Formats: sequence, C-alpha cells, structure tokens
Amino acid sequence: MREQHDDNDLLVILRHGPHGSSWLKEGLDAALVAAAFGRRVSLLFMGEGVTALMTNQQTGALGQKGTAATLEMLEMYDIETLLVDAQGLSCLGLSSEELMLEVECLSSAALARVLSGHRLVLTF
Amino acid sequence: MASAEIYRYLSIESKKYGLDPEGYLVDMNDWSPAVAEALATEEGIALTSEHWEILEVLRDFYARYEMAPAMRPLVKSVGQILGPEKGRSIYLMRLFPGSPAKVAARLAGLPKPTHCL
Amino acid sequence: MLLHVVNRSPATSRVYQQALSGMSSEDRLLLIEDGVQGALPQLVPYYAGLEGRLFALKEDLASRGLLGLCDASVQVVDVDGFVELTEEAERTVSWY
Repeated sequence: MREQHDDNDLLVILRHGPHGSSWLKEGLDAALVAAAFGRRVSLLFMGEGVTALMTNQQTGALGQKGTAATLEMLEMYDIETLLVDAQGLSCLGLSSEELMLEVECLSSAALARVLSGHRLVLTF
Repeated sequence: MASAEIYRYLSIESKKYGLDPEGYLVDMNDWSPAVAEALATEEGIALTSEHWEILEVLRDFYARYEMAPAMRPLVKSVGQILGPEKGRSIYLMRLFPGSPAKVAARLAGLPKPTHCL
Repeated sequence: MLLHVVNRSPATSRVYQQALSGMSSEDRLLLIEDGVQGALPQLVPYYAGLEGRLFALKEDLASRGLLGLCDASVQVVDVDGFVELTEEAERTVSWY
C-alpha cells in the first residue's frame, strides 16, 4: 500500500453516514462503476462515514433504501480493501468489531500514507 | 435504473405489462416466466435451461443486494453458484448476446444494472 | 508532498480533523472560503504543529474583513500563490 503509485488504483473516501444525505450513496456508486471497469478500488471510511458500516441498518422512515446491501455487495465487485479511520470510530465510541464488514483500522499516520500512496483519490 | 414511467407495453394474451424506454419492466412484481419468455422473444433468444439458471442467479443477486449486477459481479456470481465453467464472460455472451448484464437483467425482470454503460 | 485544502471553519465543522488525519509531516494546508476563520489567533491552535505549512487565501480573508487579523504563524497567499502551491504539490486533496 505504501508509495506504490499504481495508476490503476483508486481511493474513495467516504465521510458521510447513510440516510442523512446522498453523499455516501454517490461515493459508493463511483466506487462500483470504477470497479466494474477494472480499477482496483479501496474505500476509506472517515469521520461520520464510519457509521455506514453499522450492523442492523434499516430502510429510512419513508422506506428509502439504505446502503447496507450495497456494502454487502462490494466483494462481488472485488472491492476488498476497506479502511477505517480509527479516530472516526473512537469519536463515536465504536470499535471495529461492531461493524458489519471486516475492516482495517488506520491510525492518523497510516492514513496519511494511504493518501499519499494513491494518485487517484475521490472524496465524498 | 427503472423509471416509473411506462413507455410501451408488452402484451401476453390479454394482459399488458408496462415497460420503460429501454424495455425493462416498470413494476418488478409483474415478472413471471411467461413475461421472461416474451421479453426473450423480443431479443431473439429462445430460453433454454442454461438461460434460466442465469436468470435465477440474477434474481437471487437482486434479492440479496437490491441492485442488478454489472458484468464483472455477474460473472463472479455465476462462477460461485454454477461453477467456473459458466462463470466466464464468453459463456454469458453466447447466451445473452450484446451486453449480457443488461439483457439478462431485463429478462430476469430486474431494473437496468446501475454500474455499467 | 500533498496540498490539502479546507473550506470550512474549525469553529463550526470538524472537517479540519479529517484533513489533519490525512496529512503527512511534509504536507501543506491551505485555508479557503469559510476555512480562513481558522487563521484567526483564537482558532489557529486547532492547527498546532503546522507552523510553516499553514496557508490562508488572501482574497477570502479580505472579503470577510479578516485580512489584518490573521495569526502571525499563518502565511497569507493570493490566488497566484494558491496556483504556485498547487504546482509545488504532487496533488491536491480537498476537504469540504
């Protein structure tokens, strides 16, 4: 992951939770499109974005689809690198064991390395 | 994505089924094997058991993930369920010529796959 | 070296924390739009440790009446300076 600069790699940063806005959904869409076209995609959940990974998510009050099913689908698109900002988790008093998918928790230093290791970064 | 707007109808005997501009069912609940057959006829495809098992994989995929798969995940899914012989794009191209992910999704009664062109 | 750009004030948004988490020890940070509030002495402690690598956009400070009020540790750059910072950086990452 360090300083690879593989032009086929894309890092998508997700900083918003489900239901509050369409940011998360749009970020996931971008990641899925890129993966469908053969890019190697990593997702980084930061800040409030970590709540996208909560277990037991439901549809919204008006029946809006959530994003949990899409997250389950990531492996079918070969999106397997799921990174989480450790600070974002601890801010909410959560731990990575409580999340719906297996993730790698990153310290701030590791996070900076991931960012500088990707030439293509999309922030949502 | 399926639009809510009916653009034309598919007629089977006396029943009419709404289709969107790209030929996808507007109401997924309208789907039945007879509808699949009629949609296949429009595509010039005669459905065999090899087609049906792919449609099944697609419908399961949708039930689980709430989205129709693009080509890569479709190939992967077919490979996992029906074995590596069938989990190949060339095999799906032969069954559903043109754009297998789109054609097969249409016949399976799913919305258009979101993540392909 | 990356140039990180923040357009929200640390007084109202925690986006600054995300930018800080994403920064390596050489990376630079440029404050623009409402983000320039972070250049005020009262708020600049949020960016402790960035001495020499913290910039604020002059035009955005001026339009908000904050131009003369920046902390001395913040380097004020105009739009041309912004372009230069962008050119010197390998890439730019925006936090909004």
